[in-house]
Amino acid sequence: MTKTGYTFLKIVIKLFAFSILFPVAIVAIWSFAGRWSWPQLLPETFSLRGMAELFSSYSGAMQTLGSSVLLSIMVAILAVVIGAMTARALVFYNFTGKQAVEFSAVLPIIIPGTVFAMGIHVPLIRLGLADNIYGVILVHLICTLPYTIKIMTDITKAFGSKLEEQAAILGASPWQIAADITLPSLLPGLVSSGCMAYIISFSQYFLTLLIGGGHVKTFTLLMVPYLQSGDRTVASAYSFVFIIATLLVFIVFDAAGRKFSHDGHGYLFT
Amino acid sequence: MSADQQTAKIKLHPGWLEQIKRISHKGFCPLNRAKAVPYLLILPFAILSLLFIYGIGNGFLQSFGIIPSLDLNTPTLKYYIEIFSRPELLSSIWISLYITLVSSVTAAVLGVLICAALVLTGHDRGRMMGVVKIPIAIPHTVVALFVICIFAQSGLLARVLYSLGLISSQSSFPSLLYTGNGAGIILAYLWKEVPFIAFFVISVMANISSTLGEAAENLGAGKWRTFIEVTLPLCMPAIKNAFLIVFAYTLGAYELPYLLGATAPRALPVQAFIEYTHPDLQHRPYAMALNGIMFFISFIIVLLYYRLVQRDKSMMNGMNAND
Repeated sequence: MTKTGYTFLKIVIKLFAFSILFPVAIVAIWSFAGRWSWPQLLPETFSLRGMAELFSSYSGAMQTLGSSVLLSIMVAILAVVIGAMTARALVFYNFTGKQAVEFSAVLPIIIPGTVFAMGIHVPLIRLGLADNIYGVILVHLICTLPYTIKIMTDITKAFGSKLEEQAAILGASPWQIAADITLPSLLPGLVSSGCMAYIISFSQYFLTLLIGGGHVKTFTLLMVPYLQSGDRTVASAYSFVFIIATLLVFIVFDAAGRKFSHDGHGYLFT
Repeated sequence: MSADQQTAKIKLHPGWLEQIKRISHKGFCPLNRAKAVPYLLILPFAILSLLFIYGIGNGFLQSFGIIPSLDLNTPTLKYYIEIFSRPELLSSIWISLYITLVSSVTAAVLGVLICAALVLTGHDRGRMMGVVKIPIAIPHTVVALFVICIFAQSGLLARVLYSLGLISSQSSFPSLLYTGNGAGIILAYLWKEVPFIAFFVISVMANISSTLGEAAENLGAGKWRTFIEVTLPLCMPAIKNAFLIVFAYTLGAYELPYLLGATAPRALPVQAFIEYTHPDLQHRPYAMALNGIMFFISFIIVLLYYRLVQRDKSMMNGMNAND
C-alpha cells in the first residue's frame, strides 16, 4: 500500500473515533452545565442541578435505575440459558424442525419491533401478562434471543464436542462434564451473550412502554420526557448516568468472565 | 486451553477399562443418548417463538379487519385501501422508506470503509475495537440527545459556525430536526449503525484478509487490488447480512422518529402507534394495516435474508474461510 493510502485510512479512523467519542463528551459536559446560552461554545456556569434532580428522592430515578438493572439482569440470565440450550440443540443434534428453529431464531431481528409489539399486546392482555413485569421480561426475552442464540451457536460450534466425549469415555458423570468442561469452555460466550442481552433489554423503550403499560417503569422510560422537554442539563444527566451504569455492569460481567474463563478474553466484549 | 488441562480435573473412573470396552461395542456417542434431548433443549425457545409468531399473526389478521373482541369478523381490504387513499398515511410510508434506505445504505458504505481502514492498518483488535463497540451499548434515546445537542439550531455545530462568522444567527442554520427531511433521524441512525456494520463485518474481513488476501499478495497483487478484488467480494455475504438487519430495524423502530421527527409526515411506526392508541377502537385496524405494510416490506427482506443464508452455506462449505 502506498504511504498516502495508509495516511488516508489513518485519517478515516481518527475521524471515526472522534465522531463516536465527541457526542459522549458533549453530553458529559451538558450534564454539569448551569448556564450555557447561545452562542457560547463552552458553558458559562457549571451546576449540579441535573445530578441533584437525578439523585433526589422525589424523582425516584435511582430507585428506577436499580429496578431496571435487576430487570435487565433477569432478562440476560434467561436469554443466556435459553440461548445456550437452543445453540446446543442446533450444533450437536439433527432433529425434525431444525430449519424452522434456525429460521425463527432470526425472525425477531427482521420483523419490525413495532409490528411485534402491537401484535403481541392483545394476546398478552388475555394471558394476564400485560401491564406487569412478567410480560415485559417475556417480550424483552424474545428480542434478545436471536443475539444470544447466534453468539452461543458460534462458540459451541468452535468448541465442539470432542472434550466432552473424551471425558465421557474416561468415565466422567454428566454433571462432572457439565461443570468441568462444558461450562468453563462456554463461559466467554455466556458472558458476551449476557452483555448483549443486557444492553438490548436495558435500552428498550417502545416495548416496555406498550407492554408495561405505564406500570413498569424503567430508566429509559423515565428519561424520555426530559428529552422532549428540552431541558438539556437534566436529559444529559440521565444519559450520562445511563452510560456509566451500562459501563459498570460490563466491567462487572467482564471481570467475572475473566476470572472463570481460561483464555482470559471474551467473544464480544473483551 | 489444552485438552490435558481439562481432562486432568476428572478423576479416572474405577472401571474405566470395562467402560471403554463396553462403549466401543455400541458405537457410543455421549451426545446422542436420547431422541428427546434436542427437543427438550429447544422447548423454551419454541414456546417463545410460538408466542412471537402468534403475535405477528394476530396483528396480521387484525389488519384485514378480523378483531373478534370488537365484533369485527369479516375479512376486508378496506383498511389497506384507505391507507393508500389518505395522503398523510401514504406520506408516512414514503418518509419511512426514505429514512430507512438513506441511513442503511450510507451506514453500509461508511461501515465497510471503516472496517477496511481498521483491517488494513492493523487496528482490528485492541483499543479501536473498544470505540467501535461503544455505540452498540448506547440506546437510541440517548443518541437522540446527542443529535439535539449538536445539530439543533441552538446546538454546538451552529455555535461553531456562528463563531467562525459563517452564519449570522440561529435561524440561518438549516433546521435538521423535527422536519420532513429527516436529517436528524438519519444522523442519529448513522451514529448507531456505521459501527454496527463495521463490527458485524470485521471478524470475517480480518480473517479473509489475513489468509486469502496474503496469498494474493504473495502472488504479486498490490494491497489495494487484493482488497478490492479478493477480500471485499468474499465479505459481501456478511455485508449484505448486516445491511438487512440494519434495514429491517430502522424501518420498524419507534424511538428516533418519535423523538426527532416532524409532526407531519410521521414515520410508519409512530403513525401506527398513534392509530393504535386512538381512543376510538375502530382506528385499531388502521394501525394494524400500517403494521401490515411494514410487515410486508420486512417479509421481502426475510426472504432475501433466507436465500442469502442458504447461498452462504453452500459457499462456505466450498471455502471454509469463515470458520
